[in-house]
Amino acid sequence: MAPADSPADGSAAGDVPLAVELRGITKRFPGVVANKDIELRVRRGEVHAIVGENGAGKSTLMKTLYGEHRPDEGEILIDGRPVQFRSPSDAIAAGIGMVHQHFMLADNFTVLENVILGSEPTRHGRLDRAAARRRIEEISERYDLGLQPDALVEDLGVGDRQRVEIAKVLYRDARILILDEPTAVLVPQEVDELFGNLAELKREGLTVIFISHKLDEVRRVADSITVIRRGTTVGTADPRTTTAKQLAELMVGAELPTPETRESTVRETPVLQLVGVTVTDGGQRPVVDDVTLTVREGEVVGIAGVEGNGQAELVDAIMGLRPLAAGSVLLGGEDVTAWSTRARREAGVGFIPEDRHRQGMLLDAPLWENRILGHQTRPPAVKGPFIDRRGARADTARIMREYDVRAPGPDTLAVALSGGNQQKLIVGREMSARPRLLVAAHPTRGVDVGAQAVIWELLKDARAEGLGIVLISADLDELIGLSDTLHVMLRGRLVATLDPRRVTPEELGGHMTGARTAGAA
Amino acid sequence: MNGLVRRVGLSLLGPVLAVLVALVISAAVIALIGEDPVAAFRVMVDLGDSPSQQVQSIVVILNRAVPLFLAGLAVAVAFRMGLFNIGVEGQYRLATILAAAVGAAVVLPGPLHVLLVVVVAMVVGASWAGIVGVLKVTRGVSEVISSIMLNFIALGLASFLLTGPLRGSPPGASIVTTAEIPESGRVPSLNGVLTALGLATPRSGLYGFLLVALVVGVVVAVLLKRTRFGFDLRATGLSPSAATASGVDARGMVVKTMLISGGIAGLIGLPDLLGAQYDYGTEFTAGLGFLGIAVALLGRSTPLGIALAALLFAFLDRAALPLQFADIPSSVVTIIQGTIVLAVVVANEIARRLALRSAERAGAAAGPGPQADGDDGVPPPTAPDGGQRVHTGVPGDQQGVQA
Repeated sequence: MAPADSPADGSAAGDVPLAVELRGITKRFPGVVANKDIELRVRRGEVHAIVGENGAGKSTLMKTLYGEHRPDEGEILIDGRPVQFRSPSDAIAAGIGMVHQHFMLADNFTVLENVILGSEPTRHGRLDRAAARRRIEEISERYDLGLQPDALVEDLGVGDRQRVEIAKVLYRDARILILDEPTAVLVPQEVDELFGNLAELKREGLTVIFISHKLDEVRRVADSITVIRRGTTVGTADPRTTTAKQLAELMVGAELPTPETRESTVRETPVLQLVGVTVTDGGQRPVVDDVTLTVREGEVVGIAGVEGNGQAELVDAIMGLRPLAAGSVLLGGEDVTAWSTRARREAGVGFIPEDRHRQGMLLDAPLWENRILGHQTRPPAVKGPFIDRRGARADTARIMREYDVRAPGPDTLAVALSGGNQQKLIVGREMSARPRLLVAAHPTRGVDVGAQAVIWELLKDARAEGLGIVLISADLDELIGLSDTLHVMLRGRLVATLDPRRVTPEELGGHMTGARTAGAA
Repeated sequence: MNGLVRRVGLSLLGPVLAVLVALVISAAVIALIGEDPVAAFRVMVDLGDSPSQQVQSIVVILNRAVPLFLAGLAVAVAFRMGLFNIGVEGQYRLATILAAAVGAAVVLPGPLHVLLVVVVAMVVGASWAGIVGVLKVTRGVSEVISSIMLNFIALGLASFLLTGPLRGSPPGASIVTTAEIPESGRVPSLNGVLTALGLATPRSGLYGFLLVALVVGVVVAVLLKRTRFGFDLRATGLSPSAATASGVDARGMVVKTMLISGGIAGLIGLPDLLGAQYDYGTEFTAGLGFLGIAVALLGRSTPLGIALAALLFAFLDRAALPLQFADIPSSVVTIIQGTIVLAVVVANEIARRLALRSAERAGAAAGPGPQADGDDGVPPPTAPDGGQRVHTGVPGDQQGVQA
């Protein structure tokens, strides 16, 4: 760290220097520019949101600010003084703390042990638990974190764990907190609590940098917003005067589409028929209970439901990943109940899984191998018993082009792609096999606005060409907008069939929770 | 191109680093026991003075490398699918004794006789390993546990067979062996090739089984890298859940992979059996199955890497005798091999992280500017009917993997 000649020139804004100022930050990686001319000005004591699509360069920027790598160009000023971070410990020493999206806590340690881990207070060479406890209780009191120092972390819920992470950072005397997608793992009530905590932090004069792509939340909590697009800052916005739509358009750089489908393309021929499908959870309890439904060509059948009401098991049943306790699955009139997953895929079933990392991709494999996954028995990726490496690479390049998958090339490892790009690759891969039926579970989950729009367009186009789609989603707007027929699933049963043209999200939510409360998931 | 060079560099980095670290540690240990590390290393790389000595040394190394290579392959096939076949030791010992007994019991025309021995060995190895696979898919028994347990059973069984029904040596002999395999069941040495190349004739014969091992290596390489089966196998190793969702029958794959791994394991004892020993006895080479794990780790489970690793281990093994002649404890060799294994585990992890980081960087970089020509990437296609939709992302997203 190099102190500046005078703190006065550090802030152009006025007498109080900015807590964080980034000037012209550029970060290049071999071959490409990840961040370019980033300008960021964060006032002391504010909650400053940084929004941008997945892969826009938010994470790279935050790594720069947290000292995980050094920028190639540009200056970082903390409290008006230029600094250079060689490592995160330099950043911590300068009062910057990072709360990662994925918690870094030891489950079998207590809250106290986790908080002090790495900067343990000692007395006569021994751990000074009493001092640590005093500090933690003081922090908990002051910022209203409600920590129980002796609780085991493994017994805590997600919201509590996040507060432990925040306490960890505060324990190290951070004055500037970076929160990386803090709400991604929280349920709505926990989000409210988090925002309450942030208000406390703000009141105590701390500065919070809040990274997110959830615009509604950003507008609720932020005092000012900086938008990043394609690696550079494209503007700042005042959350009080900017609508979520304007923000989103700033993020994407274009006007937004809606999920609404234009006109019905439903034909007569059924592609998928489920008759009395029942799946049990290994014991006797049915998790999918006597489900009967039909998907016709050109039809999108939406399944709404609070998560955990049997949707995942229903998907497994259609894909042949789980045995049926009763009932049958018909594909194009043919009984495929006893068919293996591979046989069903060969017969023209495409699959966009709910959890792409678990079921949709080989993260440590290159993109062209991911192109083969799920299509191991069909050209262009295979020739007889052999893998057609050239064909797979060429087709991967085509998918990347046609579906706007942003990656250096077919040999890139899948793990290197942002969530949206991974999802576009999966969608492109499944569409390329020209399926008759597509099982799409949460196709736009965790995907940014731009990719979401692309995926909707693709689904609509495929539907118009006669594809039957089973759509499972937690996004009610998406369900209502895309579906031709909408079923509601509750405790494993289809409890209602609704007309998506007439139903409102509130009504749908009411059905999903058993007609008691509206709004779910 | 640049990316290719970097990837090859990264994959070599781990093993090379491991060997270097192991050498440094071994040098320290040699110095610690009061010997001169430089002198020790000089003895180890000295293959002999005369051309015939040198050729002999090379033949000894190759003869040792052949079974090590096969053992490494057997372990690696299972590794690639995420299975830890520790039972290679038991599989090859049992396979060798039964193959030796069958080989000694029949007389057939040359090639057929050898083929029969090979088939018996592979079938026995595969069946023994198959037990592990079946236990895993039907009862959920960890393959690590069951294969270790089966090692004990296999070794005990082999001892019983050797001293009981399959005993061929006269009673009272100091070394108990099976009956000798007749001439027609032996694999001729490749010394003719050596002399044809103008090299001195070595004292011991270069195993003809070397050629079989090479074929097996090529077949495994093609199987893993180029076939659908190999793709399914590797996909299962990378992510069982994704492989299952893609239509791979995970249970079937476990059994098939264990059968292949065990089949290759069955071959491990044959170079010695058919090339030099001609019978299985109490003195038969032991421990190859465990060394195979080390060789597979060092070779990063690729056939080429395993070949190099097997040569390195064989080279170290050969050095044991000259070291003793030079009054340096030959356990130096064991120390080097042990530290290599430890170092390679650490180094592979470091190399993996570096590879991950470089992939991450490539991805982070790919976000903003996909093409080389800067940030004129394709704008996201949009429909002009822009409505009021702004509801974005839902929980559960990860932006790549955090370092």
